[in-house]
Amino acid sequence: MYQETYDDEEFVGNIDVVADSYANVDEIEDVDVDDEELLMQAQAGVQSIPEQVRTFLGYLHRNLQNGNVNDLTYNYENQFPKLSEKFYAKASWPEPQYVAALVNDDGLFLILYRELYYRHIYSRLHPSLEVRFRSFENYCDLFNHILNSDGPTDLELPNQWLWDIVDEFIYQFQSFCTHRSRLNKLAEEEVALLKENSQVWSTYSVLNVLYSLIQKSNIAEQLRTQQQGGDVAEVAGEFGVRPLYKMLGYFSIIGLVRVHCMLGDYTLALQTLEGVELGNSRALYTRVMACHVSVYYYVGFAYLMMGRYADATQAFVHILTFVTRTKQYQQRQQVDAANKKVEQMYALLAVAVSLSPVRVDENIHAQLREKYGDQQHKIQRGGEEALDVISELYLFACPKFITPNPPNYELPEVVVEPQAYQLRTFLREARLQLVVPTLRSFLKLYTTMGIDRLSSFLEMEPAELKNQLMVYKQRCRQVKWDGGSDLLSGELVPSTDLDFALEMDMIFIAESRVGRRYADWFIRNANKVQDLVVSLENMQKSVVANAGKPQTPDTVVA
Amino acid sequence: MSVPSSFVRPTTRPDEIHRLLTDVERYNPSNTVLLEDYLARQCANPDSTSNHDLMANLALLKLYQFNPEMLDHDVIRRILAKALISAIPADFNLCLYLLTDEVCKDASIAKLLALRESLERAQFVKFWRDMYDPEDEEEESVVDGIAGFDNGLRRLILAEITATYQKIPLAAVQDMVNLDEEAVLRLAKENGWAVDGSVISLPVKSEVKASVINENV
Repeated sequence: MYQETYDDEEFVGNIDVVADSYANVDEIEDVDVDDEELLMQAQAGVQSIPEQVRTFLGYLHRNLQNGNVNDLTYNYENQFPKLSEKFYAKASWPEPQYVAALVNDDGLFLILYRELYYRHIYSRLHPSLEVRFRSFENYCDLFNHILNSDGPTDLELPNQWLWDIVDEFIYQFQSFCTHRSRLNKLAEEEVALLKENSQVWSTYSVLNVLYSLIQKSNIAEQLRTQQQGGDVAEVAGEFGVRPLYKMLGYFSIIGLVRVHCMLGDYTLALQTLEGVELGNSRALYTRVMACHVSVYYYVGFAYLMMGRYADATQAFVHILTFVTRTKQYQQRQQVDAANKKVEQMYALLAVAVSLSPVRVDENIHAQLREKYGDQQHKIQRGGEEALDVISELYLFACPKFITPNPPNYELPEVVVEPQAYQLRTFLREARLQLVVPTLRSFLKLYTTMGIDRLSSFLEMEPAELKNQLMVYKQRCRQVKWDGGSDLLSGELVPSTDLDFALEMDMIFIAESRVGRRYADWFIRNANKVQDLVVSLENMQKSVVANAGKPQTPDTVVA
Repeated sequence: MSVPSSFVRPTTRPDEIHRLLTDVERYNPSNTVLLEDYLARQCANPDSTSNHDLMANLALLKLYQFNPEMLDHDVIRRILAKALISAIPADFNLCLYLLTDEVCKDASIAKLLALRESLERAQFVKFWRDMYDPEDEEEESVVDGIAGFDNGLRRLILAEITATYQKIPLAAVQDMVNLDEEAVLRLAKENGWAVDGSVISLPVKSEVKASVINENV
């Protein structure tokens, strides 16, 4: 698995390195002629690290060793992005073996540094196959340290960093699966390497990490006990009582939800969230904004694929309202990072609301109309164009689907495309669901209508229309979540406001309208008046107090 | 109107299967045998209130997704056929999401997909015709080996009819459920429908009335 002959232009240095052993600049015992050059290059490398970066790395190291989570937060959330932007906008950070010299080869620090280093490459540059392999090994080292040491590690990291580790881990996994499935773009050596090292980024190993983190921290029991109001510390266990393990376990639950969705298993995704109370404003996922947004995105998406459009709409509206309202209180990069997901959710919301019309909150409705008003109209008109628009929105907004297994390297012509497959399966549902908005727009206009008349409007055979009316009836009932802890549960309720019955060839239509809501308006205004009265009384009191003139008895109010 | 959820644990699910589903064991390929046996028991049970365990079947499909060499097309066919007549229409799609294009090319599975198409569009006449096509070369129908399929299917169709229609011609019902007149009349009697000559009157639905939803202050 050693890539001595592998030509890799993206690597900043040109040193022939063997995985797992990084030459420490200070110890050069077994030097032979080749290593001389190695040493010189290494020294040059260390020198080339800018002063600011060196200081930053020093601080980072010290804070990690001392467990100063607050300072670490500042290092990680402020300094690291700023330095990345300033010095490494188009290049990778200094190579780990140079940094090793600065921190006396502190193994744990280097593992964390490498995680950042590779993460940076993935986001700004294009990772080569070697980088992918190395990064995987690094993750193995990290998780081995956390899970398989003799007892819990002393390491403490800020929540944002922990979330980013899990998030990036899954992202790199997905990126790898996509990369290796493009057989026709891979070079022969790459294919050979992939075949030889099938355990690298294998689905099982990724799942293993996530499940192990969950089990080690006893997070499921912790969440359950918390809900029931019991003593969480008791059930947490030796590992779970430490914040690092608890949060990693929790974030792994969310990570699993994401992996299940990527594999097309939406029911398991929702089942995994048992214990994570959606709607609880103090739930753990609210501590990291990206996590919060992620949870709702995947829940909404899973509901959408299950045909539970009302539930999907509810989930999306909830998080979109939250994001709009708290935007000014969040940090810049957190908002930016969540932005892409927010845009995607607007697209999915447009699809859900068009397929199953419901009222949504005014603000969201306005935003939606602004961004996707056109598309919504097209969808409601039905026909092939509607499906094209849905496809477009879907492909923009869906997660990147993967297959759990490597492709068959012997048969590169057999291309498995999970993205296209999921889209097609969804479209079949959507095509049928479109019956609802199209029929609804006609039925809304009448209280009774003959089959013949309606069928001539819609330009279809009466027999076909009768079938469509049956489909409408079936589709206008959805399972709706009742707000309990089990996201999969729910009652079958009517999801549109329009109902009808067929008597022989006559349709009798009934529409239920929502009456004018006056209670809220009255309450709000009553409160305003109350406030006004109180402030007037207070003004009067202060005038009296300041005047100092003798008052007639009935104006002296206590 | 509440329908038993596909996700609540059915009373007929044995403990060992439930343990499997809630544990990491669901990824263990050797458990396919257990789940396949469970499926066989579901298929042998004609009682439609207790013979469909969607979660267990989805777990089996997931095992196939991870271990394609263990894939059994006949098992998939039966899982899909059971999902076809489930009370919740989304069940079928949930099974589909765990398959791939390759699998769907198999003859019997492709036929099931086509049948599902007609069923979804409420083209019941076409459905019965295609399902029991006398010209079909296959000796077994695509829903073979599933006890109570026809009855489950009829129950589904009747539910749709009662939801949509207030009055419907007798002949139309016959066509839709693929039964002769006598059987339909018997059905009507069982369900308490009034039959008036050649027209069946279904019970009046109280919800089909214009209503205004007001709030309680």
